[in-house]
Amino acid sequence: MIPKYNILSTEQVQKVHEHSMKILEEIGVEMSCESALEIFKTHGLKVEGHRVYFQREFVEAQVKKAPAEFTLHARSPEHNLLCGGDSIILVPGYGAPFIHNVDGKRRNAAMADFNNFVKLAGASKNLHMTGGTIVEPGDVPHATRHLEMAYSAIKNSGKCFMGSASGRERAQDCIGIASIIFGGKEVIKAKPALISLINSVTPLKYDDRMLGALMAYAEAGQAVVIASMVMAGSTGPATMAGALALQNAEVLAGITLAQTINPGTPVVYGTTSVITDMQSGNLSIGNPECALFVTASAQLARYYGVPCRGGGTLTDSKIADAQAGYESMMVLMAAGLAGMNFVLHSAGILQYFLAMSYEKFIVDDEIAGMVLRYLRGIEFTEDDFAFDVIAKVGPGGHFLTQKHTRKNHIKELRLPQLSDRQSYDSWAKEHFDINKRAHQKWQEVLASYETPTLDSSVDKAVREYIDNRTAVLLS
Amino acid sequence: MNQVFEEIKQAVIDGDDELAAELAQKVLDEGINPVEAVQEGFIKGIDEIGTKWKSGEAFLPDVMMAADALKAGLTLLEPAVAESGSQEGEPVGRIVLGTVAGDIHDIGKNIVGALLTAAGFKVYDIDIDQSAQSFLAKAEEVGADIIAASALLTTTMGEQKELVKYLVEKNLRDQYRVIIGGGPTTKEWGDEIGADGWAETADQAVELCKELVLDIKR
Repeated sequence: MIPKYNILSTEQVQKVHEHSMKILEEIGVEMSCESALEIFKTHGLKVEGHRVYFQREFVEAQVKKAPAEFTLHARSPEHNLLCGGDSIILVPGYGAPFIHNVDGKRRNAAMADFNNFVKLAGASKNLHMTGGTIVEPGDVPHATRHLEMAYSAIKNSGKCFMGSASGRERAQDCIGIASIIFGGKEVIKAKPALISLINSVTPLKYDDRMLGALMAYAEAGQAVVIASMVMAGSTGPATMAGALALQNAEVLAGITLAQTINPGTPVVYGTTSVITDMQSGNLSIGNPECALFVTASAQLARYYGVPCRGGGTLTDSKIADAQAGYESMMVLMAAGLAGMNFVLHSAGILQYFLAMSYEKFIVDDEIAGMVLRYLRGIEFTEDDFAFDVIAKVGPGGHFLTQKHTRKNHIKELRLPQLSDRQSYDSWAKEHFDINKRAHQKWQEVLASYETPTLDSSVDKAVREYIDNRTAVLLS
Repeated sequence: MNQVFEEIKQAVIDGDDELAAELAQKVLDEGINPVEAVQEGFIKGIDEIGTKWKSGEAFLPDVMMAADALKAGLTLLEPAVAESGSQEGEPVGRIVLGTVAGDIHDIGKNIVGALLTAAGFKVYDIDIDQSAQSFLAKAEEVGADIIAASALLTTTMGEQKELVKYLVEKNLRDQYRVIIGGGPTTKEWGDEIGADGWAETADQAVELCKELVLDIKR
């Protein structure tokens, strides 16, 4: 792995920390959930109404209890993932209600799309997890959506997946389902299988839904990404230093709650901080400021000694075009260089998180492959220097017929899965741009995807759990 | 023309709500025509900032702060304008605006509110996490033309449907135009739940409200 890129000096990191502490102590954070407030009151924090004022010593002590790294357990153990240290986990897009078709037409996402994306992520060499709410399946009732999404993730892939963050009850359902697969709640408490996405509501709030889920997962020893999305210019200051301090305060408040409930809860420091388009008020996610937030945030997480989440193939474009490509590459590359450990939204996202696209998914898979190759860096063994081969070929020769070349090019020189490197004439026959090539490719990948087997007794038990809960929830 | 009108216009352009209120008070204290102060000062200021925003020279903070300054002044002048019996000071329309129950996101709603204010609407912002009952109660209280409901979450969009349903149940559906908006909403969703309109962006929402108000007057 290449060294992690730091853009802040030690003093600057310290300054962000100091400002965050001042925010937590003097301004505080609003939490709408009574049980969360009770926990803080019990620990002697000042609580006024719904506002919690955090003492810095308390926050610092709680954050220290979070593990520096942890392993997430997959249904297929070869897909177990280390989160933290030098590892990077790439995960598809999350939460979009829409699909943009190849022609740019928008439609509501459905369960069939969700299943397809699980399979595409399952098939990908570059994506490490299938994700969580990859799209919002609008054709499944809200009450049971989390159950069907979990089932699809389990049935269609052996990779790790994410638990629902929509309140305590849904989190408990996901914990229940994971317990069936892994052999009980105690088993997953020792070996976490779920990771979920807890978001603050910027500025300085956490809602019931997210707090309920956070508390349920912390109690069950499951991992949580605690993320803040500051929209610089609207939900946060337009100045990036202030936005970082605000984000940092929110994330630390969430981590503090998780550690207070269950010391050692695996947490990931999350940033989704972005900017506001100051003309329309829209979110804008594919830009240099976003890349700067990502880079600085990874450094902040390292300062606190916890894994970090941020970045992705982020874009404001509506279709898999050049804008989608350059914006996505910039932010994913920044995440890679910064040493991000968990990169949600690494495939498929269009229009600032509102839409997923099959074509974009495939383009992003290529971007992910390129970034992962870059991060592997340059190897420096004696054999890699190839002195003997250079000597053998000598001045004016070529290396194409050397065994050393034949043996090494496959691992050294990444072959693109999608990018066009043909001659002009070969390209001109079909005249396909990236959008068209990706359109063709995802259909091929889906057609040839082999679903990993799921033990029929486990399948039955999970399905029974889901059917029982569905009957209750829809009654 | 009275020098104070130029100062009012500039206060609105500068987004200075304190100065705008101060100048409105001066209008009242010195017996200056309040209708003229609105037309020649406040409206001219907001029009200028609106034009600059449309041409890309001004940004949201400029428009929203100008709307705040406008609101600060108009609030003070309203009684005097009403007393004068002039129709000039009447708002373009009255709108109850809020985020639906279970949803505490308000940035988009606030932008819509500011742009509507800037466009001459009287906006009654009932804030976040509001039930259908609260929307209706406010609408009845202020004699609203339009009820505008925002939702950012796919899980809370259903509340927009509840709002329409509630109005139908109360036999008051025809009394108000209902419009919806927010990240996951679409025109199709608006049609499906029987809303009178949907807009994707704040400036489209203003256009929509203008059309609806024209329609009401027809």
